Amino acid sequence: MASTTSDAAVADTKPFDIVATYNELLRSDADLTMPIAAIEALVLLLTQSASSTISETLDLLEKSTAHLKRSIPNPIGLSAGTDLFQRYLITTLQRPGQLGPAGDFKAIRTHLLSNGRLFIRRAKESRDKIAAFGRGFIRDGSTILTNGGSRAVAALLQKAADEEGGSSAVRFRVIYVLSSTSQESKHPDEEPEGMETVRALRAKGVPVSTIPESAVAYSLGKADMVIVGAEGVVENGGIVSRMGTYQIGLLAKAIGKPFYVVAESHKFVRLYPLGQYDLPIEQQVVEFKSEEDLAEERKQQSSVADTNGDTPIKLPLCDSVDFTPPHLISALITDSGVLTPSAVSEELIKIWF
Amino acid sequence: MNRKLGLRRSVGRLWHHFFFHKMTEPSDPAPTAPVSTPASSAPGQAQPATENSPQTLPIRDSKPTQPTGDAPASTDGAADKPLSPAELKKKAKADKAARRIREKLEREGGTTGSTTPTPSVGAQARPPSTPKKDATGTGSAQKGPRAPPPRRGSGPVAQTGSVLVEQKKKKDDKKVSVFGHLYGQQRRVTVAGATKEVHHAILALGMQLMDYTICGSSARCVATLIAFKRLIESYTTPMGTSLARHLTTHLSSQITYLSTCRPLSISQGNAIRALKLFIAGIDPSTPEASAKISLCEYIDSFIREKITVADQVIADSAAQKIQDGDVIVTFAGSSIVKQTLLLAYNRGKRFRVSIIDSRPLFEGKSLARDLAKSGLDVQYSLVHSITHAIKDATKVFLGAHAMTSNGGLYSRVGTALVAMSAKERASGVEIPVIVCCETIKFTDRVALDSIVVNEIADANELLPMDTPVSLVVPNPDAHVPPTPENKKGGNRTPAPEPLVTPHKTSSSPLADWHNTPNLQLLNIMYDVTPAEYVDMVITEMGSLPPSAVPIVHRMVTNL
Repeated sequence: MASTTSDAAVADTKPFDIVATYNELLRSDADLTMPIAAIEALVLLLTQSASSTISETLDLLEKSTAHLKRSIPNPIGLSAGTDLFQRYLITTLQRPGQLGPAGDFKAIRTHLLSNGRLFIRRAKESRDKIAAFGRGFIRDGSTILTNGGSRAVAALLQKAADEEGGSSAVRFRVIYVLSSTSQESKHPDEEPEGMETVRALRAKGVPVSTIPESAVAYSLGKADMVIVGAEGVVENGGIVSRMGTYQIGLLAKAIGKPFYVVAESHKFVRLYPLGQYDLPIEQQVVEFKSEEDLAEERKQQSSVADTNGDTPIKLPLCDSVDFTPPHLISALITDSGVLTPSAVSEELIKIWF
Repeated sequence: MNRKLGLRRSVGRLWHHFFFHKMTEPSDPAPTAPVSTPASSAPGQAQPATENSPQTLPIRDSKPTQPTGDAPASTDGAADKPLSPAELKKKAKADKAARRIREKLEREGGTTGSTTPTPSVGAQARPPSTPKKDATGTGSAQKGPRAPPPRRGSGPVAQTGSVLVEQKKKKDDKKVSVFGHLYGQQRRVTVAGATKEVHHAILALGMQLMDYTICGSSARCVATLIAFKRLIESYTTPMGTSLARHLTTHLSSQITYLSTCRPLSISQGNAIRALKLFIAGIDPSTPEASAKISLCEYIDSFIREKITVADQVIADSAAQKIQDGDVIVTFAGSSIVKQTLLLAYNRGKRFRVSIIDSRPLFEGKSLARDLAKSGLDVQYSLVHSITHAIKDATKVFLGAHAMTSNGGLYSRVGTALVAMSAKERASGVEIPVIVCCETIKFTDRVALDSIVVNEIADANELLPMDTPVSLVVPNPDAHVPPTPENKKGGNRTPAPEPLVTPHKTSSSPLADWHNTPNLQLLNIMYDVTPAEYVDMVITEMGSLPPSAVPIVHRMVTNL
């Protein structure tokens, strides 16, 4: 997100900058997820554009989507939103009747836009739904291990804390795995992701223990279950999530603890990764360097100050993701119910066909 | 002209049924009746439900099972006696009912009373059998029509009197008991004895299916549809019936013939079901010519949509999964895998291919040849060296015969071995197993093991020592052993009907297995890979986990 400010500045000169809008949206609303921000950006784009035919609209949509995906280092999450919106548009346009291909385009347009907004509102509500579904999983006296900064998980845990009597009665405990990668990066003073949730939970009287990632295996014995968030849920029921989730999944499987994923159903992506290295993004995680390479790098850094050109954007380590295969996941808690990993493909097929 | 012929033919058939009915119903099957033959080749109207079930006893016989002289006889009979349409209809109905009853009785008789030797001369001499039997087989079997249609479960045995009672016992031992239910009727080996109404395109297709010239689920499906198109082009609706009603039954008899050549594949069954549904939906008032045109168009678009274009879509998305430096393991010869690999190669991906093959069909040989010709790096090995081949593999691509509703992959026997080896985390790395499969191959059946549903091929195919068995010549010692290339190329012409008198001395120690006590040979065609060994199924509808097969199948069939 380093380039956000510069993009926003350019936004005024250009007619409409989808990337800047997207980033702006994400920044302005902390509760917004990537797919929803993408959809909202697309809706804004359609309101501002003067397209008058269906094919023009679809074409514009496609181009902007492609542009957006190219400009964001990790487009997995947002592609769920853009794909969904595109699909929604096409199905609406294909539907017979007034809003179908034969109908008045202006009516179609207004319908689309208003429905697009409705969609966004519903998506925001989905977190409450998830919390309602997931509440039953958190029982009295249980200990939950979680990681990352998932807002869905935070909502679920806070809801459970509220339900079970707030500060008066302590019914469950949380082991919060805090990422160490953000501290290694450029902002060592920034607090790790999830601290906000930790504070909120503590305020509600829930005992929280924070552990580093290296202590997961050690601490899992004290936990009853693992609940994690996800950036995207892929077709085979696996998840793409914050780096470190996969190892927690593996450890949970090895120790025999249930591993639940909390995700909104708009995060379902049409993507089928076969493994860690089959994701459509480039990550700098495993990089082999000798002393020679390091020297070379240093030289380059000093000579070239800033080349923010069109070079492929690589994901910094703190933002990198991994893929947790479906066989490690016990269930997915979504706003359309609690699903087994294999049911995800069914949901996706329902959306897509 | 055409029309007249068709009418004549159908009259002949009706008459034939009538005649047959009269002859067989009151008493035991008369050995003289030449008429019984056609019925024997059409055991039961094709029932879609059983189309795929292996009903044939796939023991290959050398001798033409049926004489050819009987068919005209009944035609002549029909020509003599003109019948009014109403009469014909009535008779046809009665015949059908009678035939059903008779078949039922026979079926029961076949299982319970099979020990009763039937006084017939149509001994189906098995190549490596006693000289005595051979004599009967080569001599009289050529001419003598088998009076009673082959009994279910009795196989090609036990028709030459008392000698064969004993022989029959022996033969029953040759059925591997776990797979006993799969030995249906004998598999047809010649076109002789086919009913007149079987179209020549279907006859030719039957031969090609029989000797694996057309092999592979998609290829069989396409060939069947094309043959049906030929049939429909030359079809005329007989008087007094409508196209929608008559063509379906007409097709059914063709299908029955095909299924005696080789049990129908799932894809064939699905295609036939779709076609029949379409025929049934034709408005009776449509003129025949336009109905035929629309049918042909339907078949064309079916092939295009479900197979040709589907294959392109699958190959396209599967090729995206191939990365530079991959080592792709594949088993036997799947056309869609071949298409995928070639496409990926043409897109500039550089990878190695390791083909694992197995006896007796050696389907991987032509794949290896074709890929190598196109410039790919190919390693060819047999299934015995699977652990070695899988060691440096990075991905496994498999073709499918069918995908079952519980996500199982029903494919050429040996596939499960490859998939399981890939999943075994011996080397610490899991190798993704990717199945490429058109949705036409999806079925609502459930397969828990490879035993309940399978196809048994001729055990003689296992005999040859170093050359693959000649798939037409039943005798492994046939004078011209075909080269593997020849067979794999698919351009192999069916060898001429064997005049071979079976040799007793064979290169294979197992050649005499029929007469060796305590020895059973099993040659099954398919196995089931459980869903947990499959990571991804690539279809034209997208990539799915195997658990999504029933959903997609439901969706495809409902549309």
